[in-house]
Amino acid sequence: MTPLANSLSCLIALGCASFLWRKGSSPYRNGALLSVFLVLFSVFCYFAGDINDPTIEHYPFRMLALCLCLSTTSLSLYRRRYLVLAQSLWCWIELFGGISLYYHGIDIAWTRIAALLSMTLCSTFLSKISKEMEFCLMVFWLAVWVFF
Amino acid sequence: MGMDRREFIKSCSLVAVMGLLFGCRKIPLEELAGDLPSLKRFEDEVKLALSQAKKSLDLVKIPTPGALKIPGASTLNRFGMAIDLDSCDGCGKCILACNLENNVPLVPNEDAARGRFMHWVDMRGSAPFMCAHCGNAPCERVCPTGAANHTPDGLSAMMYKRCTGSRFCGANCPVQARKFNFNDAQKLGLARQFNREVPLRDKGVMEKCSLCLHRLQNDRLKFKTSLTVGETAEEWRGRGVKTACAEACPKNAIIFGNWLDEKSPLVKLTKNRVLYAPRELADLDPSVVFMRGRR
Amino acid sequence: MFKYLMLAGLALFLPGLYALGYSIFEGPSAWMVDSRTFWGTPISLFVFWIGLAHAGTLLSAIFLALEIKLDRRTALIAELSTLVCLVFAGIFPLMHLGVVENFYMVMPLLDARGNFANVGSPLVWDFCCIAVYALLSLVFFMTHLKTREIPALDKYRKPMAWLLFPLVLWVHTVVSLDFATTFVPQWRGAFFPVYFIAGAIFSGLALMNLLLCSEGYRVRLLERLQLIFSWFMCAIWVWDLMLKGSLCTSAFIFAGVLPQFRMIAVIRENKWGRIALSLSVLIGLFLERLYIVSPDFGSCAASPLNWIDWGLIAFSVGGFVLLFFGIRRYLNWKMEGAGSYFGEVDGTDLADAEQQELEKEGARGIAKPRKGFYIQPWASEEYHVLRLPLLVGFAFALVYSIWVLSQSVFANVEFSFANIVPLLYPVIALVTTVTLYVRAYFVEQAFTLSRHEKWASVIVLVLVAACAGAFFAGGSSQNSTNTIDSQSIGVDAPVSQSHARLLWNTRCATCHGVDGKFNEKFVREFYPVPQKLDVQRLDSLGTDSLVKVILNGRANMNAYAGRLTPSEALGLVNYMQTLAKQATESAKEGDNDSAR
Repeated sequence: MTPLANSLSCLIALGCASFLWRKGSSPYRNGALLSVFLVLFSVFCYFAGDINDPTIEHYPFRMLALCLCLSTTSLSLYRRRYLVLAQSLWCWIELFGGISLYYHGIDIAWTRIAALLSMTLCSTFLSKISKEMEFCLMVFWLAVWVFF
Repeated sequence: MGMDRREFIKSCSLVAVMGLLFGCRKIPLEELAGDLPSLKRFEDEVKLALSQAKKSLDLVKIPTPGALKIPGASTLNRFGMAIDLDSCDGCGKCILACNLENNVPLVPNEDAARGRFMHWVDMRGSAPFMCAHCGNAPCERVCPTGAANHTPDGLSAMMYKRCTGSRFCGANCPVQARKFNFNDAQKLGLARQFNREVPLRDKGVMEKCSLCLHRLQNDRLKFKTSLTVGETAEEWRGRGVKTACAEACPKNAIIFGNWLDEKSPLVKLTKNRVLYAPRELADLDPSVVFMRGRR
Repeated sequence: MFKYLMLAGLALFLPGLYALGYSIFEGPSAWMVDSRTFWGTPISLFVFWIGLAHAGTLLSAIFLALEIKLDRRTALIAELSTLVCLVFAGIFPLMHLGVVENFYMVMPLLDARGNFANVGSPLVWDFCCIAVYALLSLVFFMTHLKTREIPALDKYRKPMAWLLFPLVLWVHTVVSLDFATTFVPQWRGAFFPVYFIAGAIFSGLALMNLLLCSEGYRVRLLERLQLIFSWFMCAIWVWDLMLKGSLCTSAFIFAGVLPQFRMIAVIRENKWGRIALSLSVLIGLFLERLYIVSPDFGSCAASPLNWIDWGLIAFSVGGFVLLFFGIRRYLNWKMEGAGSYFGEVDGTDLADAEQQELEKEGARGIAKPRKGFYIQPWASEEYHVLRLPLLVGFAFALVYSIWVLSQSVFANVEFSFANIVPLLYPVIALVTTVTLYVRAYFVEQAFTLSRHEKWASVIVLVLVAACAGAFFAGGSSQNSTNTIDSQSIGVDAPVSQSHARLLWNTRCATCHGVDGKFNEKFVREFYPVPQKLDVQRLDSLGTDSLVKVILNGRANMNAYAGRLTPSEALGLVNYMQTLAKQATESAKEGDNDSAR
């Protein structure tokens, strides 16, 4: 995927994230939204990337994980816990997707995984998540997405 | 009990002697002569396989194989083959020669009808097709027990005794070069040991082309033997060895040799030819390649 | 009710058992596989049952960890179904093997011959993950059962839930890697971990809903989740379709389209309607597993399944019903009773439910900081319980991976950290749990065992040790074919001394050394250590028995019957005697030298 499409994809994820976990929204709404987002990301990948490129295989799922990460900042309850869980999910997708690609001769993006893992660990130490901290986290994730 | 000490010792020693005799008995070779399959059946099966062969073979160009990239690999030897598609006419003599050399068993009729032969050499696109002994073999990577492994000389080898028959290697071979012993060929009277140097495989293990490993081993041993008496002072390069299929080819279309040895017929004859490999294997560094046309 | 279900299960199970026995006897040719597919129904069934096995731990452990309220009865049923599913999930990969008795070679442990499993193979990860998962699920279930009698154990449930949470996902991830790491075009997909986990949770939910129907009540939260997951699965299938251009239509209809009928109130409120919905999901997902394992199943063979395949399916379904409801009946007196059944949890909103839950707990007087539900980082109770065991687990995993990577087997294999990562968490979880419970029993004395239980645990430990010993010893190393000589010794032409020397140098010197004084570096790996070469010993053994040893092998000595003729062996024995004489002479000279 080209760098432009790659940055575009994280903007799409950012846009989608704002629709999730609205106050008083039902699990149906959130579940349906997640499924629709996944389809949206898939369609995006299908047109923006090369379908024969192995790294595209888990791209929509990585976008979904990023979207979940970004959306956790707007939660009202148990923010730290879900923040950590969402980042772990992203890490998980990166790591195991990477392992399966490794068996096809593609190197694992260790820097990305290490950055995410260290951020996951660090964010368990967060006590109060202020607006500034939210912003920093989001910038960090987007940076990981775009640059690593 | 009416048994004194003397009698007790006597009976004990008798038991011991019987045990000894039992231990020393000659285990008779299994009498299989009666229901050993005839050579004709092997020939017929090859004909049947030829008639069912796949017509297409999707080839792409590849560079000449170089030294292996795995740690501990030999820098002197990497054995392989090249199949000359210009001279091969798909007669299938290599298949029969391989079967007889490696004691490849017959299969029951229902398996043959499904195209499930044990032949190490298949016919695809009217050219012989066997395990490519990939330098980066996917089968070895997924074998859970390490039964499929790589020798430093570039052979993808099989340890039959270590195989649990999970068939993971078979699933991961992109060209289905691996054959699974679905049947107990020895019990069904479908196996025959034409060659004493190659063991018969048990039911439930995987097998495939070994590049006539036993011939290479014999040659290496002979070389080592001559080395100890000081006849030669070189490294072993496997010169003069030929696989059974290469030997049997009437058109000399199968060339066996050492990719890293300048004097090997393989290197000489592939020098100004264009090399090909099946599309699925092109990225896996195959040792057995195809050639067609001049450069 | 349970009785009739058990009878139905038995009716399916018995013919299925026959099919299982037949297919173990006949080997993998019993079920339908064509020349291109090497796997078949057993692997589909394995993936199916291991997916169902996620119901328990998912619902019980993850809900517990995330503090989503689930009543005791539902949680216990879920945990029990996990255990029973695991029994069947364990049988299928074993029976799928070509040489069933060699299954132990898959364990990543050293054996006496220095063999080591290829830890880079997803199958090894599978084996470890499932074994650890089964063990930990059992511990979790037993702890839950025992909390009724020993309330102190409740303290360990949540830490265990946090341990199981990643493990349960890890198991299915590793199962998905079985497929995703291969070169089969239909299995390409770095997204398989998520796909398989979603499928597993989906089928687990369907199974739970089905089981709850048989219990005569419902948990709306689970039904809703089932519907939501059907959407998510469809979204994943869309991506799969885009990537590979093919879709399992029947699975899509059964597990994607039909579950949407839950939106119709008449079907939803009817018990049989709910049963039909859950069954359709289960059938759809089973078809999907069949499709994944052998994508060109339908196109190649005229009928994709033969009677063995049906028998295996019947075996697992019948066996599950039989075993589950059997245990359920037996445990009835423990599960029923006042206070155990909290009523249904109607999760109108997950966040709301959590809020209510917290308020309830606050009302009950459990100390919990209310202000914004704020807990200091790294200060929760379960973390305190887990801290030390986790540390031990991590340390052990580190030592283990260093030990594995230093094995000589891996010296010539391209190997990276990625190959061993999937093994690490099961090791950590296992060691952590063992430490946790050992500490709870011996140090904190949180629970006591009755006499029977003590005996049972000692017997289990002894059995485990015995199995480990047997695996370490390994099987026989005899040649596949009987090549024991039928000729008597010394009949053919005798072998010259120089030829014997050549033979010795090529065949024997690797271990025994050119001068007969072992290659120490190599031989010290063996036990028992080979005997030292001396004249007296050779004489006492006699030529005949030494020839036998060379031909037929003994202890670590390989059999050379196929490679040497008896006369060559005899020549070697004679050569050994010359070597021994030389050795004693040189030793004497050495003594003389030192004396001088």
